[in-house]
Amino acid sequence: MSDEHVVQLPVKVDPTISFRIWFKVGSQNDPKGKEGLAEITASMLTDAATKNNSYEQILDKLFPLAAGYSATTSTEMTVVTGRVHKDNVKEYYPLFIDAILHPAFEREDLDRIKSQAINYLENTLRYSNDEELGKAVLYAALFAGTPYSHITTGIVGSVKNITVKDVEGFYREFFTRENVVIGIGGGYEADLLRRIQEDLAALPPGNPVLVPAPVAKTLTGFHVAIVEKDSPATAISMGFPIDLLRGTKDWYALAIANSWLGEHRNSSSHLYQVIREERGLNYGDYSYIEHFPCGGMLSKPPQNVSRRQQIFEIWIRPVPNEARHFALRAALRELKRLVAEGMSESEFRQTRNFLKKYVLHYAPTTMERLGYALDDRFYGITGSHLEIFRATMDQLTLADVNAAIRKHMQYGKMQIAMITKDANSMKRALLSDGPSPMTYKTPRPSHILEEDKVISVFPVKVDPESVKVLEVKDLFER
Amino acid sequence: MAESIFPYVYQKEVLPNGLTVIMIPMESPGLVAYYSVVRTGSRDEVEPGKSGFAHFFEHMMFRGTTRYPGPVYDSVITSIGASANAYTTDDYTAYHLNFAKEDLEKVIEMESDRFQNLFYEKQAFQTEAGAVYGEYRKSITSPFSLLNEKVQDLAYDVHTYKHTTIGFEADIKAMPEAFEYSKSFFRRFYRPENVVLLIAGDIDPRTTMALIALAYGPWEKGYEAPEVSPEPPQKAERTGSVSYSGKTLPILNIGYKGDAFDPGNRDYVAAVLLGELAFGETSDLFKKLYIKEQKVEFIRVGVPVNRDVPLFEIAAMVKKEEDLDGVRDEVYRTIDEFQSKPVALKRLNDLQRRQKYGFLMNLDTPDKVTGGLARFAALTGDIAVIGDLYTAFDRVSPQEVMNAARKYFVPVRRTVVVLKGARQ
Repeated sequence: MSDEHVVQLPVKVDPTISFRIWFKVGSQNDPKGKEGLAEITASMLTDAATKNNSYEQILDKLFPLAAGYSATTSTEMTVVTGRVHKDNVKEYYPLFIDAILHPAFEREDLDRIKSQAINYLENTLRYSNDEELGKAVLYAALFAGTPYSHITTGIVGSVKNITVKDVEGFYREFFTRENVVIGIGGGYEADLLRRIQEDLAALPPGNPVLVPAPVAKTLTGFHVAIVEKDSPATAISMGFPIDLLRGTKDWYALAIANSWLGEHRNSSSHLYQVIREERGLNYGDYSYIEHFPCGGMLSKPPQNVSRRQQIFEIWIRPVPNEARHFALRAALRELKRLVAEGMSESEFRQTRNFLKKYVLHYAPTTMERLGYALDDRFYGITGSHLEIFRATMDQLTLADVNAAIRKHMQYGKMQIAMITKDANSMKRALLSDGPSPMTYKTPRPSHILEEDKVISVFPVKVDPESVKVLEVKDLFER
Repeated sequence: MAESIFPYVYQKEVLPNGLTVIMIPMESPGLVAYYSVVRTGSRDEVEPGKSGFAHFFEHMMFRGTTRYPGPVYDSVITSIGASANAYTTDDYTAYHLNFAKEDLEKVIEMESDRFQNLFYEKQAFQTEAGAVYGEYRKSITSPFSLLNEKVQDLAYDVHTYKHTTIGFEADIKAMPEAFEYSKSFFRRFYRPENVVLLIAGDIDPRTTMALIALAYGPWEKGYEAPEVSPEPPQKAERTGSVSYSGKTLPILNIGYKGDAFDPGNRDYVAAVLLGELAFGETSDLFKKLYIKEQKVEFIRVGVPVNRDVPLFEIAAMVKKEEDLDGVRDEVYRTIDEFQSKPVALKRLNDLQRRQKYGFLMNLDTPDKVTGGLARFAALTGDIAVIGDLYTAFDRVSPQEVMNAARKYFVPVRRTVVVLKGARQ
């Protein structure tokens, strides 16, 4: 296996070894009617029997090593990830490689893995995680009719239909020696890398055709999907496609604007300041220029969720139902201001200085840096994105940032997703665009109350045919 | 102390005012992790109507001082590109920052300032109460939050583990009224004798300590330990059920009153290993219920590290409601087995090896080192206990595992709660 299939990150002082074996396949490759197949196939490698060991035997053998492996599937990438202490690599490696090369694809394992996927869709996502639900509805609406429209777990009706034969076929087609990149990091010896290269040459042959990047919906005005759900609070996600990927100068410029508007899980986020800090409406408010799944669980961006089409996204964590219209207006008003006015010199300087150091925290471990290195390969970045990110901060000017905002952002054409109770009253409120005054149980400073008057009548014009009310039980069903 | 598993040489000092400082220099590319561990958590909320206050107070600590008002504090943290956050647990509250080593002096100045001179107005206090309610709302859609609330309420009569860390909803709603109380919370608990600083990464202990002594030296003593009522021994098994308004598979939760964390308590140490042996992912029960019969979505166990008597818990999400009793009985049968015959020595040795490597593999960044030690520092005021604990794990015998099963996992200590979804 040639070097173009290898990404190395040696770290001599690291007593552990990290593996990320990347297959260029993801939920975008799920066949129609088999949505969920990519993720299930990946789980059938790492959470199931091989031809040499039953799943129980694998767990028993990994147990004393305190090491394991797992697979993550995103829209475009599937990565088998493992980490082990050097002392244990001799026992660990044969198990790890066996999982990739010799999956048994047994029916019992498939039943178990399918049952988990269905439980996630039918129960967890629909009923106990409104925030992820809101994001899934947003993406489904923006990418309707494209391979990006469904979440990696799939669709209930499709998952139920997946057979052992489907999994075997998908494995043969996509888990091939031409379609793999070996990521290895930490305190490994050169021999180990050679051995993986030799071993993975035994994967099935084949060079699958890359599906074309999706063309996102061209939006006219605001589109709103409101999911009816008996919920004490309203989760809101919204966004629009952007034509920008990391690695370009404009991306780093826009990253500054986005960080100022809504750095993930950070109080430096302007939206956070306006909605949470000054008004106490919720737990946090953030924005994104790259896909960021599982935002509630992660404090920093995940790796290996790269994609060729990104969206700009705002995430408003659950607000009381009575404040939902006001919170939506508050967020849109800040976005409109950013798009119209750009950043100020002081905001620019502060955010640039912040990012220059903050991105150090994006990947403190070998495993995370290895993940970034694979993503660099995905995006065709020469060198390291995180290093370029830091270096570029000193080269960009306020004019660059504001030009990037003008070029890549816009206001007024956007998909909005809301998970809320009494969806029809929300729909009526949006269509009437009448005032949504904010009242607080406790006093607020006068400048906040004055600003509230402006926010509460901030116009958000929505056409009746652009609002859809959905039932939660129908989501991800077929 | 026996040779410790902890691979880094660290230094511990106590200032005259009682502040404990633990410094762990380690290789890291210019990064430092800084944990302020306040040895107060929801366990210390002894006054009625004040559940959730330790967590609420954690939010108030970001509202600043007269020298660094909240927005200024935020903007300095932003300007140095630090990653800063905090969390509250049952036994402690931790404030943590990761930053570049050249910013250590600034961080010490700002952290020592807010721990000594916190200042906020009533309006800011009341606004923050709204954010806390928002946090409650985002979490409560999870059936596990609801289950946890029910389990703790049922299992405890007088001890403050009766309530969860986020607190009862009624108490959260009433938080805006507790402005005066919040000040007493700071005065009583945010004192040097009740705080441990854990600092790891690219640091020089001598200069770091000099900066710390200067900045935290004036902080006055004055910790007032709350009187947490000990939970009297349980007299009989307790059972309960709870209905979740959404849709979920049923969840079975079986808890046993255990013992507080103490590496010198052989039964406690053996119980930690027993949990894994009996219910972990290589246990016979896991293989039967999860892999072979596929009756459960998951089964998991927790033998926690707590200051007072916690619950040792086994939880399972069951695929079919009619299997609930069967799964429960399988759990009991497993316990019977561990009470009646000693575990195979190889299984035990495998687990001992796993414990060791599991610990060693999680020390690769300053943040993981400090984060992993925070609870131990909170409970004991030191981290030496890590060495004691892992030495104790290594000495556990099959007989001791059996003893732990006989001591803790008995009906009289048991609380069983079943959660079911209201929707089908």
